[in-house]
Amino acid sequence: MIAAALASAGAAAQAPPGPEVCDGCHGKDGNSALPGIPVLAGQTSRYLYLQLRDFQEGRRSSDQMTPMAKSLSRDAMRSLADWYSKQKQTPQPFKPDPDKARLGAAKAAETLCTMCHQGGFLGQNEIPRVAGQRYDYVVKQLSDFKARRRTNDAGNMTSVSNTLSDADIENLGHYLAGL
Amino acid sequence: MQRMAFKPRSVAAAALALTTFGAFAQAEIAGQAAASGSPVPRNISVPQARLDAARGDGVNFLHSNGSYEQTRYYPADRINTKNVAKLKPAFIFQTEVVESMETAPIVVDGIMYVTTSYNHVYAIDAATGKEFWHYKHKQGPVTTYCCGPNNRGVAVMGGQVFMGTLDAKLVSLDAKTGKVLWSTQIADPEAGYSETMAPVAVNGKVLIGTNGGEYGIRGFVKAFDASNGKELWSFATIPDKGHEGVWAANDATGRNMLRDIAAEKKQLADKGGDFYKTLGGGVWMAPAIDRDTSTVFFVVGNPSPDLYGAERPGDNLYTDSIVAIDLNTGAYKWHYQYVAHDVWDLDAVSPVILTEAKGKDGKMRKVAIHGGKTGHVYVHDRATGELIRFSEAMVPQENMWVLPTKDGARMLPGANGGVEWSPMAFNPKTRLVYAANLHQPMTYHVEQAAYPGGKLWLGGAFKVIASEKQWGRLAAVNIDTGKIAWKFDTEQPLIGGVLTTAGGLVFNGEGNGLFRAFDAKTGKKLWEYQCGAGVNAPAVSYTVGGKQYVAVAAGGNTQLDFKRGNSVIVFALP
Repeated sequence: MIAAALASAGAAAQAPPGPEVCDGCHGKDGNSALPGIPVLAGQTSRYLYLQLRDFQEGRRSSDQMTPMAKSLSRDAMRSLADWYSKQKQTPQPFKPDPDKARLGAAKAAETLCTMCHQGGFLGQNEIPRVAGQRYDYVVKQLSDFKARRRTNDAGNMTSVSNTLSDADIENLGHYLAGL
Repeated sequence: MQRMAFKPRSVAAAALALTTFGAFAQAEIAGQAAASGSPVPRNISVPQARLDAARGDGVNFLHSNGSYEQTRYYPADRINTKNVAKLKPAFIFQTEVVESMETAPIVVDGIMYVTTSYNHVYAIDAATGKEFWHYKHKQGPVTTYCCGPNNRGVAVMGGQVFMGTLDAKLVSLDAKTGKVLWSTQIADPEAGYSETMAPVAVNGKVLIGTNGGEYGIRGFVKAFDASNGKELWSFATIPDKGHEGVWAANDATGRNMLRDIAAEKKQLADKGGDFYKTLGGGVWMAPAIDRDTSTVFFVVGNPSPDLYGAERPGDNLYTDSIVAIDLNTGAYKWHYQYVAHDVWDLDAVSPVILTEAKGKDGKMRKVAIHGGKTGHVYVHDRATGELIRFSEAMVPQENMWVLPTKDGARMLPGANGGVEWSPMAFNPKTRLVYAANLHQPMTYHVEQAAYPGGKLWLGGAFKVIASEKQWGRLAAVNIDTGKIAWKFDTEQPLIGGVLTTAGGLVFNGEGNGLFRAFDAKTGKKLWEYQCGAGVNAPAVSYTVGGKQYVAVAAGGNTQLDFKRGNSVIVFALP
C-alpha cells in the first residue's frame, strides 16, 4: 500500500488524463461553478470511485455522467478519484441564509448525519464529504433519495430523507454549503 | 453497554469496514511479498496421514479446529482438573498488529503459525515464543469486508502454510521460510468478496469459502490444487435454479416464520429468479471433512440483503443451511435448511462438528452438529442430513419470528445469536458440546434497497436496545438428549469459541480479558487469568518436550468492540 500511496502522490503532481475533460462542467480542480454540478475537490476517493463505477454499471444514472463513465477503466476511475480527492475546495459565491442554515444545523444534529458523514461533514471512505457542497446539488440529491430517483446507496439515505420535509432539505442545503 | 450490532454487520460499521487506496492503518499498508526474519530451524513436513490422525494427536494442533472432525477436543491430560489452578503464562508473543484477533494458532513439531488482522503470519517457537519469520500480506487496491479485518488462522500440509486474505486471495507460504510459493485470486473484492476463515488442507487440495453475505455476493466453497493454486472445483452455495426450495412455512424447530408465501410466489413469477447472482450465502468458517466418505460439511450464511426479503422470494437455498458435498468433485450431496427466507440474519456460521450421537432409537449414529445463531444445537444424521434433534434454547427467545418493520421490531435472539462464528467444542467423555453464546436484545428494521454494487447491503438495520442488559453464556449441551447440562453466565456477550481437553477441562475467553478454565463435567470455574485485552479467539493446546501448553489470542474484537490487543498468551504448569 505504500507503493500505491506513492503512485497516487505522483499522480497528484501531474494530473492523469481525464480532468481536463471533467473541467468543462466540474470546474478547474473540481470546484464546480455550474448549477446542479457537484464540487469534487476534496471529496473522498472511495466515494468518487464508487460513484463512477455506479454510473458505468447503471446503478446511478445521469445524462452527462453515464456516457462519460462508460469508457473508463477501473484504473482510470481510481486515478481520477485519487486526483480529485487531493484537490482543495475553494469558497463558493453562494451566500447561505443564516436563519435557514441554523435550522439546517439543528435538523442535521437531530438526524445524526455525522454518525456516517463524520464530524465537520468531511466524509470517510464510501460516505461522501458534503461540507462546502453546492446548495442546489445537495437539495437535488436529498430530494432524489427521498423520491427513490437515486437508489445506489442500499436505501440508507432514503430511510433518512423520508424524515425530512422540503423545508428541512432547503435548510440543510444552506447549512452544508456554508461549511 | 451499548454496542453496535454487527456481524450483523451494521450500517455505521460499513464505512469502517471498507478500506481503500492508501488511507489506512500502518499494519495494512506496510505490505510485502516476502517474509522477514529467519527460517524455522528444522524441516516442517506434515504428511496426509498426520492430518488424518490429528484427532488423536496429543502433541500437535494441526487444524484450526483441531482435526477434520472439528471437535476441538485436545486428547492430552497433563493439564487437568486437579492442577489447572496452577496454570501460569509461559510466554506472551506480541504481534505488531493491534486489532481484533479471532485466530486459532496451528502448532507443528514445536513451531506455532499464528495470524493477525490484515493477514500477517508469524512462525514462532511454540515453547519459548522466539520469532522466526514474519509475513505481511500486501493487500490489493480495494478490500471490502464486514466485521473487522480479521483472520482466523492458517492450514498446513506438507511443507506449506495456506492463508485466505482480505483481498480475496489464497496464498501458499513455505512453512520453513515464509516465502510466497503461489497466490491465487479467489474472487473480486470489489464485488464484496473477502476471506477471513482458515482454509482446510486435505489430500492435495485446499478448501475455502468466502465472506460477503452483507454485500450481495454469490457464495461458494472452492477447492484449489495445493501444488500450484489452480482451481479444481467450485460449489455455489446459491444454485442458479431451485433456490426457491419447498416454500417452507416453519423453521427447523417447527415455528411459523410468518412468510407471505403467496406474495413471494407472485414476485418470483413476475420478476424471475435472476437475483440468485447477488443472493449472498457466505461460508465463514472452516468446513469439516469425513475422510471415510469423502464428504465436506459446512454451514451457509444469510441471504443478501439481510433484512429486506421482498425482492428475493423463496427459501433462498442454501442460505441458513448445513450442506454436504463431495470432496473430490464438489458435487452436492444433501442440505438441511434451518431458517428459510431469513430476514433477521439469524443464520448459520459456527463450524460443523462431526462425531457420534444417539439416534431417536437410542443407537449411536454418525452425526454432524451445528450451533446456531438461533440458540439451538442441531444434531443431524451425517449420511442424509436428517435432523435427529435440536437442543433446548441456550439463550432467551422472544417474539420469534416477528417480521422486521420500518420502525423496528424487537425479537430475541438479537442478530449476533445465540452462537456466532465461535467454534463449539465436543468432549466425547462427557458427551457434552460447549457453545459460547450471546444475549443482545435488538430491534430489526427493514428498508427497501436495490443492489448497490458491492457496497454494504443490509436492507435495513439491526439496532441494539440500549436499555436492555447484554450478557454471555457458555452452555454445555448433551448431544444425545438435547438437554443443557450446565451453563456459566458472563458479563460480556461471548464471541470467540471453545476448547475442551482430555484433562476434563473447557477453556473459553471473554471480551473483558478474562480467560477461564472450567470443569467439563460440572461447569465449575477452576481458573481464570486477566489477559489485558478481549479474549475473543478459540484457544488451542499442544505439547512440546513433554510439556503441555494452552495458547489463546487476546486481541479483542471489532464486531462487538471489545478492547483490542496484539498478543498470543501461552500458558503452562510451572
